[in-house]
Amino acid sequence: MPFVALFLKKLCLYSKGRFLGFKRGKRNQYEHTALVQLEDVNSKEETTFYAGKRIAYLYRAPTAKKGTNVRCIWGRITRSHGNSGVVRAKFRHNLPPSAMGSSVRVMLYPSNI
Amino acid sequence: MVQRSFKRLVEVGRVVLITHGADAGKIATIVDIVDHNRAIIDGPTTGVSRQVIAYKNTVLTDIVVKRLPRTIGSKALAKFLEKEQVVEAWQKTAWAKKLDARKRRSNLSDFDRFKLMRLKKQQRNVVDRQVALLRKERA
Amino acid sequence: MAKTAHKNQLAPGISRLSHSKVFSKRATYKAKKESKPKADAAEAKKAFVRKPYVKEDLVDVLTAKKNELVQAAVTPRPKHSRKALRAPKLRKSITPGTVLIMLAGRFRGKRVVFLKQLKSGLLLVTGPFKLNGVPLRRVNQAYVIASSTKVDISGVKIDSKFNDAYFKHEKEAKLKGTEEEFFGKEAQKKEHPAHKLADQKLADKDIVAAVAKVPYLASYLSSTFSLTKGQAPHKLKY
Repeated sequence: MPFVALFLKKLCLYSKGRFLGFKRGKRNQYEHTALVQLEDVNSKEETTFYAGKRIAYLYRAPTAKKGTNVRCIWGRITRSHGNSGVVRAKFRHNLPPSAMGSSVRVMLYPSNI
Repeated sequence: MVQRSFKRLVEVGRVVLITHGADAGKIATIVDIVDHNRAIIDGPTTGVSRQVIAYKNTVLTDIVVKRLPRTIGSKALAKFLEKEQVVEAWQKTAWAKKLDARKRRSNLSDFDRFKLMRLKKQQRNVVDRQVALLRKERA
Repeated sequence: MAKTAHKNQLAPGISRLSHSKVFSKRATYKAKKESKPKADAAEAKKAFVRKPYVKEDLVDVLTAKKNELVQAAVTPRPKHSRKALRAPKLRKSITPGTVLIMLAGRFRGKRVVFLKQLKSGLLLVTGPFKLNGVPLRRVNQAYVIASSTKVDISGVKIDSKFNDAYFKHEKEAKLKGTEEEFFGKEAQKKEHPAHKLADQKLADKDIVAAVAKVPYLASYLSSTFSLTKGQAPHKLKY
Protein backbone atom coordinates (compact mmCIF):
# COMPACT_ATOMS: atom_id res chain seq x y z
CA MET A 1 0.00 0.00 0.00
CA PRO A 2 1.38 3.44 -0.82
CA PHE A 3 2.31 5.56 2.13
CA VAL A 4 -0.37 8.19 1.59
CA ALA A 5 -3.08 5.61 1.09
CA LEU A 6 -2.59 4.47 4.66
CA PHE A 7 -4.08 7.71 5.87
CA LEU A 8 -6.78 8.09 3.27
CA LYS A 9 -9.97 6.46 4.40
CA LYS A 10 -11.50 4.77 1.45
CA LEU A 11 -14.99 6.03 0.92
CA CYS A 12 -17.45 3.24 0.37
CA LEU A 13 -21.14 4.03 0.22
CA TYR A 14 -22.46 0.86 -1.26
CA SER A 15 -22.71 -2.77 -0.35
CA LYS A 16 -21.86 -5.59 -2.63
CA GLY A 17 -24.00 -8.06 -4.48
CA ARG A 18 -23.30 -10.92 -6.80
CA PHE A 19 -25.04 -11.37 -10.12
CA LEU A 20 -26.07 -15.01 -10.09
CA GLY A 21 -27.94 -15.34 -13.35
CA PHE A 22 -31.32 -14.57 -14.77
CA LYS A 23 -34.76 -15.37 -13.58
CA ARG A 24 -35.63 -18.69 -15.12
CA GLY A 25 -37.77 -21.77 -15.20
CA LYS A 26 -36.77 -25.25 -16.07
CA ARG A 27 -36.37 -24.55 -19.75
CA ASN A 28 -36.69 -20.82 -20.27
CA GLN A 29 -34.75 -17.93 -18.90
CA TYR A 30 -35.91 -14.36 -18.72
CA GLU A 31 -33.00 -12.05 -19.31
CA HIS A 32 -34.98 -8.96 -18.38
CA THR A 33 -34.71 -9.88 -14.71
CA ALA A 34 -31.39 -10.50 -13.03
CA LEU A 35 -30.94 -12.36 -9.77
CA VAL A 36 -28.54 -10.81 -7.29
CA GLN A 37 -27.24 -12.29 -4.05
CA LEU A 38 -26.69 -9.51 -1.53
CA GLU A 39 -23.72 -9.64 0.78
CA ASP A 40 -24.51 -10.26 4.46
CA VAL A 41 -28.16 -10.79 3.64
CA ASN A 42 -29.37 -14.29 4.34
CA SER A 43 -33.12 -14.12 4.68
CA LYS A 44 -36.13 -12.85 2.85
CA GLU A 45 -36.99 -10.43 5.66
CA GLU A 46 -33.63 -8.74 5.43
CA THR A 47 -34.06 -7.98 1.74
CA THR A 48 -36.88 -5.49 2.41
CA PHE A 49 -34.30 -2.83 3.22
CA TYR A 50 -32.88 -3.15 -0.28
CA ALA A 51 -36.10 -3.01 -2.28
CA GLY A 52 -35.96 -0.18 -4.79
CA LYS A 53 -32.29 0.55 -4.23
CA ARG A 54 -30.19 1.53 -7.20
CA ILE A 55 -27.76 -1.09 -8.35
CA ALA A 56 -24.82 -0.72 -10.69
CA TYR A 57 -22.81 -3.18 -12.69
CA LEU A 58 -19.36 -1.81 -13.44
CA TYR A 59 -17.12 -3.21 -16.11
CA ARG A 60 -14.06 -2.31 -18.05
CA ALA A 61 -14.27 -1.74 -21.78
CA PRO A 62 -11.37 -1.77 -24.23
CA THR A 63 -11.99 1.75 -25.47
CA ALA A 64 -12.23 4.77 -23.26
CA LYS A 65 -15.30 6.95 -23.29
CA LYS A 66 -15.27 10.33 -21.59
CA GLY A 67 -11.75 9.58 -20.47
CA THR A 68 -12.49 6.35 -18.65
CA ASN A 69 -12.53 2.71 -19.53
CA VAL A 70 -15.02 1.93 -16.83
CA ARG A 71 -18.63 1.69 -17.89
CA CYS A 72 -21.74 1.07 -15.94
CA ILE A 73 -25.17 -0.46 -16.32
CA TRP A 74 -27.71 0.91 -13.86
CA GLY A 75 -30.71 -0.88 -12.48
CA ARG A 76 -33.02 -1.17 -9.54
CA ILE A 77 -33.85 -3.91 -7.09
CA THR A 78 -37.45 -4.84 -7.64
CA ARG A 79 -38.28 -7.55 -5.13
CA SER A 80 -36.98 -10.53 -3.22
CA HIS A 81 -36.44 -13.90 -4.80
CA GLY A 82 -36.67 -17.02 -2.69
CA ASN A 83 -35.93 -17.19 1.00
CA SER A 84 -32.20 -16.74 1.30
CA GLY A 85 -31.49 -13.11 0.59
CA VAL A 86 -31.52 -13.17 -3.19
CA VAL A 87 -33.27 -10.31 -4.95
CA ARG A 88 -34.55 -9.61 -8.43
CA ALA A 89 -33.24 -6.60 -10.25
CA LYS A 90 -34.07 -4.87 -13.50
CA PHE A 91 -31.38 -3.11 -15.41
CA ARG A 92 -31.65 -0.39 -18.04
CA HIS A 93 -30.05 -2.82 -20.40
CA ASN A 94 -30.07 -6.48 -19.65
CA LEU A 95 -26.84 -7.62 -18.08
CA PRO A 96 -24.62 -9.63 -20.39
CA PRO A 97 -24.30 -13.31 -19.52
CA SER A 98 -20.56 -12.78 -19.20
CA ALA A 99 -21.35 -10.76 -16.07
CA MET A 100 -22.67 -13.82 -14.26
CA GLY A 101 -20.79 -14.35 -11.05
CA SER A 102 -19.35 -10.85 -11.00
CA SER A 103 -20.13 -8.35 -8.31
CA VAL A 104 -22.48 -5.42 -8.54
CA ARG A 105 -22.74 -2.34 -6.37
CA VAL A 106 -25.87 -1.87 -4.35
CA MET A 107 -26.20 1.82 -3.56
CA LEU A 108 -27.80 3.12 -0.37
CA TYR A 109 -30.25 5.35 -2.24
CA PRO A 110 -33.12 5.97 -2.63
CA SER A 111 -33.02 5.96 1.12
CA ASN A 112 -35.97 5.67 3.45
CA ILE A 113 -34.20 5.85 6.76
CA MET B 1 -18.18 -43.40 37.10
CA VAL B 2 -18.49 -43.03 33.41
CA GLN B 3 -15.85 -41.03 31.69
CA ARG B 4 -17.15 -37.49 31.48
CA SER B 5 -16.42 -36.47 27.92
CA PHE B 6 -19.66 -34.51 27.94
CA LYS B 7 -19.58 -31.88 30.63
CA ARG B 8 -23.07 -30.58 30.07
CA LEU B 9 -25.90 -33.07 30.17
CA VAL B 10 -29.57 -32.81 29.45
CA GLU B 11 -31.10 -33.20 32.89
CA VAL B 12 -33.84 -31.74 35.03
CA GLY B 13 -32.55 -28.49 36.41
CA ARG B 14 -30.15 -27.78 33.54
CA VAL B 15 -30.26 -24.16 32.48
CA VAL B 16 -30.42 -23.69 28.72
CA LEU B 17 -29.98 -20.71 26.43
CA ILE B 18 -32.69 -20.43 23.79
CA THR B 19 -31.19 -19.70 20.39
CA HIS B 20 -34.16 -19.69 18.06
CA GLY B 21 -37.73 -18.44 18.11
CA ALA B 22 -39.44 -15.61 19.93
CA ASP B 23 -37.52 -16.21 23.16
CA ALA B 24 -34.11 -16.31 21.49
CA GLY B 25 -31.41 -15.01 23.80
CA LYS B 26 -33.25 -15.80 27.03
CA ILE B 27 -32.37 -18.55 29.51
CA ALA B 28 -34.73 -21.17 30.91
CA THR B 29 -34.55 -24.34 32.96
CA ILE B 30 -35.31 -27.89 31.91
CA VAL B 31 -38.24 -29.12 33.98
CA ASP B 32 -38.87 -32.43 32.30
CA ILE B 33 -37.55 -34.43 29.40
CA VAL B 34 -40.03 -35.43 26.71
CA ASP B 35 -37.83 -37.59 24.49
CA HIS B 36 -34.44 -37.55 22.83
CA ASN B 37 -35.42 -34.46 20.85
CA ARG B 38 -37.48 -32.33 23.17
CA ALA B 39 -37.77 -31.16 26.75
CA ILE B 40 -40.17 -29.06 28.78
CA ILE B 41 -38.56 -25.79 29.80
CA ASP B 42 -39.75 -22.99 32.01
CA GLY B 43 -38.34 -19.58 32.82
CA PRO B 44 -40.58 -17.73 35.26
CA THR B 45 -37.80 -15.29 36.17
CA THR B 46 -36.70 -14.59 32.60
CA GLY B 47 -40.01 -14.22 30.85
CA VAL B 48 -40.04 -17.61 29.17
CA SER B 49 -43.39 -19.35 29.37
CA ARG B 50 -43.56 -23.08 30.06
CA GLN B 51 -43.20 -24.93 26.79
CA VAL B 52 -41.90 -27.96 24.99
CA ILE B 53 -38.80 -27.07 23.05
CA ALA B 54 -36.49 -29.00 20.75
CA TYR B 55 -32.89 -29.32 21.90
CA LYS B 56 -31.71 -28.05 18.55
CA ASN B 57 -33.24 -24.70 19.43
CA THR B 58 -31.30 -24.48 22.66
CA VAL B 59 -27.76 -24.60 23.98
CA LEU B 60 -26.93 -26.17 27.32
CA THR B 61 -25.11 -23.96 29.80
CA ASP B 62 -22.85 -24.90 32.69
CA ILE B 63 -25.45 -23.89 35.24
CA VAL B 64 -27.60 -26.55 36.91
CA VAL B 65 -30.25 -26.06 39.57
CA LYS B 66 -29.37 -28.77 42.04
CA ARG B 67 -31.94 -31.26 43.34
CA LEU B 68 -34.76 -29.80 41.29
CA PRO B 69 -37.82 -32.07 41.46
CA ARG B 70 -39.16 -33.27 38.13
CA THR B 71 -42.12 -31.36 36.62
CA ILE B 72 -41.99 -28.67 39.25
CA GLY B 73 -44.57 -25.88 38.92
CA SER B 74 -43.66 -22.38 37.75
CA LYS B 75 -44.08 -20.68 41.12
CA ALA B 76 -42.04 -23.24 43.00
CA LEU B 77 -39.40 -23.14 40.26
CA ALA B 78 -39.14 -19.36 40.59
CA LYS B 79 -38.32 -19.80 44.27
CA PHE B 80 -35.59 -22.30 43.40
CA LEU B 81 -34.14 -20.03 40.76
CA GLU B 82 -34.08 -17.07 43.08
CA LYS B 83 -32.48 -19.05 45.88
CA GLU B 84 -29.76 -20.34 43.59
CA GLN B 85 -29.43 -16.94 41.93
CA VAL B 86 -29.42 -18.51 38.50
CA VAL B 87 -29.88 -15.30 36.54
CA GLU B 88 -27.02 -13.61 38.37
CA ALA B 89 -24.82 -16.65 37.84
CA TRP B 90 -25.63 -16.57 34.14
CA GLN B 91 -24.92 -12.87 33.82
CA LYS B 92 -21.53 -13.39 35.42
CA THR B 93 -20.40 -15.83 32.73
CA ALA B 94 -18.15 -14.61 29.95
CA TRP B 95 -20.65 -16.07 27.51
CA ALA B 96 -23.49 -13.87 28.71
CA LYS B 97 -21.22 -10.85 28.77
CA LYS B 98 -20.19 -11.50 25.21
CA LEU B 99 -23.79 -11.80 24.08
CA ASP B 100 -24.66 -8.62 25.90
CA ALA B 101 -21.75 -6.74 24.37
CA ARG B 102 -22.73 -7.93 20.93
CA LYS B 103 -26.25 -6.70 21.44
CA ARG B 104 -25.14 -3.33 22.72
CA ARG B 105 -22.71 -3.02 19.87
CA SER B 106 -25.40 -3.60 17.29
CA ASN B 107 -27.61 -0.97 18.88
CA LEU B 108 -25.00 1.77 18.63
CA SER B 109 -25.94 4.74 16.51
CA ASP B 110 -23.65 6.26 13.93
CA PHE B 111 -22.51 8.92 16.37
CA ASP B 112 -21.93 6.29 19.07
CA ARG B 113 -19.77 4.27 16.72
CA PHE B 114 -17.75 7.39 15.99
CA LYS B 115 -17.29 8.15 19.68
CA LEU B 116 -16.28 4.55 20.32
CA MET B 117 -13.67 4.80 17.60
CA ARG B 118 -12.28 7.96 19.13
CA LEU B 119 -12.17 6.50 22.65
CA LYS B 120 -10.49 3.35 21.43
CA LYS B 121 -7.88 5.50 19.75
CA GLN B 122 -7.20 7.29 23.01
CA GLN B 123 -6.95 4.01 24.85
CA ARG B 124 -4.57 2.63 22.25
CA ASN B 125 -2.44 5.72 22.53
CA VAL B 126 -1.93 5.24 26.28
CA VAL B 127 -1.45 1.49 26.18
CA ASP B 128 0.94 1.53 23.23
CA ARG B 129 3.08 4.13 24.88
CA GLN B 130 3.33 2.11 28.07
CA VAL B 131 4.15 -1.05 26.14
CA ALA B 132 6.87 0.77 24.26
CA LEU B 133 8.34 2.05 27.50
CA LEU B 134 8.37 -1.41 29.03
CA ARG B 135 9.98 -2.82 25.95
CA LYS B 136 12.72 -0.23 26.15
CA GLU B 137 13.40 -1.09 29.75
CA ARG B 138 13.68 -4.76 28.90
CA ALA B 139 16.09 -4.21 26.06
CA MET C 1 -36.35 -0.55 -18.01
CA ALA C 2 -37.47 1.25 -21.03
CA LYS C 3 -38.68 4.74 -20.44
CA THR C 4 -42.08 5.58 -21.77
CA ALA C 5 -42.88 9.09 -22.78
CA HIS C 6 -46.44 9.03 -21.54
CA LYS C 7 -47.92 7.36 -18.59
CA ASN C 8 -50.91 6.50 -20.73
CA GLN C 9 -48.77 4.55 -23.08
CA LEU C 10 -47.29 1.16 -22.45
CA ALA C 11 -44.71 1.73 -25.11
CA PRO C 12 -44.46 4.52 -27.65
CA GLY C 13 -47.51 4.15 -29.81
CA ILE C 14 -49.25 1.54 -27.70
CA SER C 15 -52.03 2.90 -25.56
CA ARG C 16 -52.47 1.60 -22.07
CA LEU C 17 -56.23 1.59 -22.37
CA SER C 18 -58.28 -0.10 -25.03
CA HIS C 19 -60.65 1.77 -27.30
CA SER C 20 -63.68 0.80 -25.28
CA LYS C 21 -61.95 1.63 -21.98
CA VAL C 22 -61.19 5.11 -23.25
CA PHE C 23 -64.81 5.50 -24.32
CA SER C 24 -66.11 4.58 -20.90
CA LYS C 25 -63.50 6.72 -19.17
CA ARG C 26 -64.25 9.80 -21.22
CA ALA C 27 -67.92 9.20 -20.54
CA THR C 28 -69.02 11.51 -23.30
CA TYR C 29 -72.33 9.67 -23.44
CA LYS C 30 -73.17 11.12 -20.07
CA ALA C 31 -73.04 14.66 -21.36
CA LYS C 32 -76.31 16.20 -22.45
CA LYS C 33 -76.73 16.34 -26.16
CA GLU C 34 -77.52 19.75 -27.38
CA SER C 35 -79.61 19.89 -30.41
CA LYS C 36 -78.15 22.33 -32.83
CA PRO C 37 -80.54 24.24 -34.98
CA LYS C 38 -79.97 23.02 -38.49
CA ALA C 39 -78.88 25.76 -40.73
CA ASP C 40 -80.99 26.29 -43.68
CA ALA C 41 -79.49 24.31 -46.51
CA ALA C 42 -80.34 26.89 -49.02
CA GLU C 43 -78.83 29.67 -46.97
CA ALA C 44 -75.66 27.72 -46.48
CA LYS C 45 -75.34 27.22 -50.16
CA LYS C 46 -75.77 30.89 -50.75
CA ALA C 47 -73.11 31.79 -48.21
CA PHE C 48 -70.53 29.50 -49.67
CA VAL C 49 -69.06 31.08 -52.68
CA ARG C 50 -66.02 29.44 -54.13
CA LYS C 51 -63.26 31.85 -54.77
CA PRO C 52 -61.52 31.52 -58.02
CA TYR C 53 -58.00 30.16 -57.84
CA VAL C 54 -55.23 32.57 -58.46
CA LYS C 55 -51.53 32.02 -58.73
CA GLU C 56 -50.84 33.83 -55.47
CA ASP C 57 -52.95 31.32 -53.60
CA LEU C 58 -50.80 28.50 -54.78
CA VAL C 59 -47.65 30.30 -53.69
CA ASP C 60 -49.20 30.91 -50.33
CA VAL C 61 -49.99 27.27 -49.85
CA LEU C 62 -46.56 26.12 -50.86
CA THR C 63 -44.62 28.57 -48.76
CA ALA C 64 -46.88 28.69 -45.79
CA LYS C 65 -45.99 26.94 -42.63
CA LYS C 66 -47.77 23.75 -41.88
CA ASN C 67 -51.21 24.16 -40.59
CA GLU C 68 -51.14 24.43 -36.84
CA LEU C 69 -53.74 21.76 -36.44
CA VAL C 70 -51.80 19.35 -38.57
CA GLN C 71 -48.67 20.08 -36.66
CA ALA C 72 -50.38 19.52 -33.35
CA ALA C 73 -51.49 16.13 -34.51
CA VAL C 74 -47.99 15.14 -35.52
CA THR C 75 -45.87 16.38 -32.66
CA PRO C 76 -46.68 14.81 -29.34
CA ARG C 77 -47.40 17.41 -26.75
CA PRO C 78 -47.07 16.55 -23.08
CA LYS C 79 -50.46 16.18 -21.55
CA HIS C 80 -51.41 18.88 -19.16
CA SER C 81 -51.55 17.36 -15.74
CA ARG C 82 -54.43 18.28 -13.51
CA LYS C 83 -52.61 17.13 -10.42
CA ALA C 84 -51.47 19.84 -8.06
CA LEU C 85 -47.74 19.85 -7.40
CA ARG C 86 -47.19 19.13 -3.78
CA ALA C 87 -43.90 18.87 -1.96
CA PRO C 88 -43.05 15.33 -0.96
CA LYS C 89 -43.66 14.45 2.65
CA LEU C 90 -40.71 14.78 4.95
CA ARG C 91 -39.64 11.51 6.50
CA LYS C 92 -40.47 11.25 10.16
CA SER C 93 -36.86 10.63 11.06
CA ILE C 94 -35.84 14.03 9.70
CA THR C 95 -36.46 16.99 11.98
CA PRO C 96 -34.65 20.33 12.22
CA GLY C 97 -31.17 19.66 13.58
CA THR C 98 -30.98 16.04 12.43
CA VAL C 99 -27.56 14.96 11.28
CA LEU C 100 -27.89 13.58 7.76
CA ILE C 101 -25.47 11.40 5.86
CA MET C 102 -25.21 12.37 2.22
CA LEU C 103 -25.27 9.36 -0.09
CA ALA C 104 -24.62 10.71 -3.55
CA GLY C 105 -23.13 13.64 -5.37
CA ARG C 106 -20.14 15.79 -4.70
CA PHE C 107 -20.51 15.67 -0.93
CA ARG C 108 -21.25 11.97 -0.58
CA GLY C 109 -20.25 10.51 2.74
CA LYS C 110 -20.40 13.88 4.49
CA ARG C 111 -22.43 14.35 7.61
CA VAL C 112 -24.47 17.52 7.53
CA VAL C 113 -27.10 19.31 9.59
CA PHE C 114 -30.68 19.55 8.37
CA LEU C 115 -32.28 22.98 8.73
CA LYS C 116 -35.68 22.87 7.06
CA GLN C 117 -37.67 21.62 4.13
CA LEU C 118 -38.14 24.04 1.29
CA LYS C 119 -41.29 24.51 -0.74
CA SER C 120 -40.00 22.33 -3.53
CA GLY C 121 -39.63 19.48 -1.04
CA LEU C 122 -35.85 19.63 -1.08
CA LEU C 123 -34.02 19.74 2.20
CA LEU C 124 -32.00 22.76 3.23
CA VAL C 125 -28.78 21.56 4.83
CA THR C 126 -25.50 23.05 5.92
CA GLY C 127 -22.20 21.36 6.76
CA PRO C 128 -21.60 23.68 8.66
CA PHE C 129 -19.13 24.87 6.04
CA LYS C 130 -16.46 25.60 8.62
CA LEU C 131 -16.48 22.00 9.84
CA ASN C 132 -16.70 19.90 6.72
CA GLY C 133 -16.78 22.17 3.72
CA VAL C 134 -20.42 21.60 2.87
CA PRO C 135 -22.13 24.92 2.13
CA LEU C 136 -25.77 25.79 2.53
CA ARG C 137 -27.30 23.49 -0.01
CA ARG C 138 -30.44 21.77 -1.15
CA VAL C 139 -30.58 17.98 -1.19
CA ASN C 140 -33.20 15.43 -2.06
CA GLN C 141 -34.23 13.34 0.93
CA ALA C 142 -33.94 10.17 -1.13
CA TYR C 143 -30.19 10.69 -1.23
CA VAL C 144 -29.77 11.06 2.49
CA ILE C 145 -29.69 8.83 5.56
CA ALA C 146 -31.20 10.38 8.66
CA SER C 147 -29.13 9.56 11.71
CA SER C 148 -30.59 9.49 15.19
CA THR C 149 -28.19 12.24 16.24
CA LYS C 150 -29.67 15.69 16.52
CA VAL C 151 -28.03 19.06 16.92
CA ASP C 152 -30.04 21.35 19.14
CA ILE C 153 -30.81 24.19 16.75
CA SER C 154 -34.04 25.20 18.43
CA GLY C 155 -32.61 28.62 19.21
CA VAL C 156 -31.21 29.16 15.75
CA LYS C 157 -33.16 31.33 13.37
CA ILE C 158 -33.07 30.36 9.75
CA ASP C 159 -33.31 33.29 7.40
CA SER C 160 -36.40 33.09 5.22
CA LYS C 161 -34.39 34.25 2.25
CA PHE C 162 -32.98 30.76 1.89
CA ASN C 163 -35.66 29.55 -0.46
CA ASP C 164 -35.56 27.67 -3.72
CA ALA C 165 -34.97 30.83 -5.72
CA TYR C 166 -31.87 31.61 -3.66
CA PHE C 167 -30.18 28.43 -4.80
CA LYS C 168 -31.18 28.59 -8.42
CA HIS C 169 -28.32 28.70 -10.87
CA GLU C 170 -27.90 31.89 -12.76
CA LYS C 171 -28.18 31.30 -16.44
CA GLU C 172 -24.98 31.81 -18.29
CA ALA C 173 -24.92 33.88 -21.42
CA LYS C 174 -24.79 31.65 -24.42
CA LEU C 175 -21.31 31.48 -25.83
CA LYS C 176 -21.77 28.63 -28.21
CA GLY C 177 -21.73 29.60 -31.84
CA THR C 178 -20.80 33.18 -31.16
CA GLU C 179 -17.58 34.79 -32.25
CA GLU C 180 -16.23 34.84 -28.74
CA GLU C 181 -16.31 31.12 -28.52
CA PHE C 182 -14.76 30.73 -31.89
CA PHE C 183 -11.82 32.89 -31.01
CA GLY C 184 -11.13 30.87 -27.90
CA LYS C 185 -12.41 33.21 -25.30
CA GLU C 186 -13.02 30.66 -22.67
CA ALA C 187 -15.66 30.92 -20.04
CA GLN C 188 -14.14 32.38 -16.94
CA LYS C 189 -14.38 30.48 -13.73
CA LYS C 190 -17.16 32.02 -11.79
CA GLU C 191 -16.30 33.48 -8.44
CA HIS C 192 -18.51 32.51 -5.59
CA PRO C 193 -20.57 35.61 -4.93
CA ALA C 194 -19.42 37.47 -1.86
CA HIS C 195 -22.88 37.92 -0.45
CA LYS C 196 -23.36 34.15 -0.39
CA LEU C 197 -20.13 33.72 1.52
CA ALA C 198 -21.34 36.24 4.06
CA ASP C 199 -24.73 34.49 4.26
CA GLN C 200 -23.00 31.20 4.91
CA LYS C 201 -20.95 32.60 7.73
CA LEU C 202 -23.93 34.23 9.34
CA ALA C 203 -26.13 31.15 9.06
CA ASP C 204 -23.49 28.79 10.36
CA LYS C 205 -22.45 30.90 13.33
CA ASP C 206 -25.13 29.74 15.74
CA ILE C 207 -25.09 26.18 14.45
CA VAL C 208 -21.35 25.84 15.02
CA ALA C 209 -21.88 27.18 18.52
CA ALA C 210 -24.61 24.60 19.15
CA VAL C 211 -22.38 21.84 17.81
CA ALA C 212 -19.50 22.90 20.04
CA LYS C 213 -21.61 22.30 23.14
CA VAL C 214 -21.68 18.53 22.57
CA PRO C 215 -18.36 16.70 22.96
CA TYR C 216 -17.07 14.95 19.84
CA LEU C 217 -19.91 16.31 17.73
CA ALA C 218 -17.76 18.76 15.80
CA SER C 219 -15.23 16.13 14.84
CA TYR C 220 -18.08 13.76 14.05
CA LEU C 221 -19.51 16.22 11.57
CA SER C 222 -16.14 16.81 10.00
CA SER C 223 -15.56 13.11 9.48
CA THR C 224 -17.10 11.09 6.68
CA PHE C 225 -19.36 8.08 6.73
CA SER C 226 -18.19 4.93 5.07
CA LEU C 227 -19.14 1.30 5.10
CA THR C 228 -16.43 -1.13 6.08
CA LYS C 229 -16.08 -4.82 5.65
CA GLY C 230 -18.72 -6.79 7.49
CA GLN C 231 -20.99 -3.79 7.96
CA ALA C 232 -24.31 -4.58 6.39
CA PRO C 233 -26.26 -1.35 5.91
CA HIS C 234 -29.57 -2.98 6.78
CA LYS C 235 -28.29 -4.13 10.16
CA LEU C 236 -26.76 -0.83 11.20
CA LYS C 237 -28.47 1.73 13.34
CA TYR C 238 -27.95 5.29 12.25
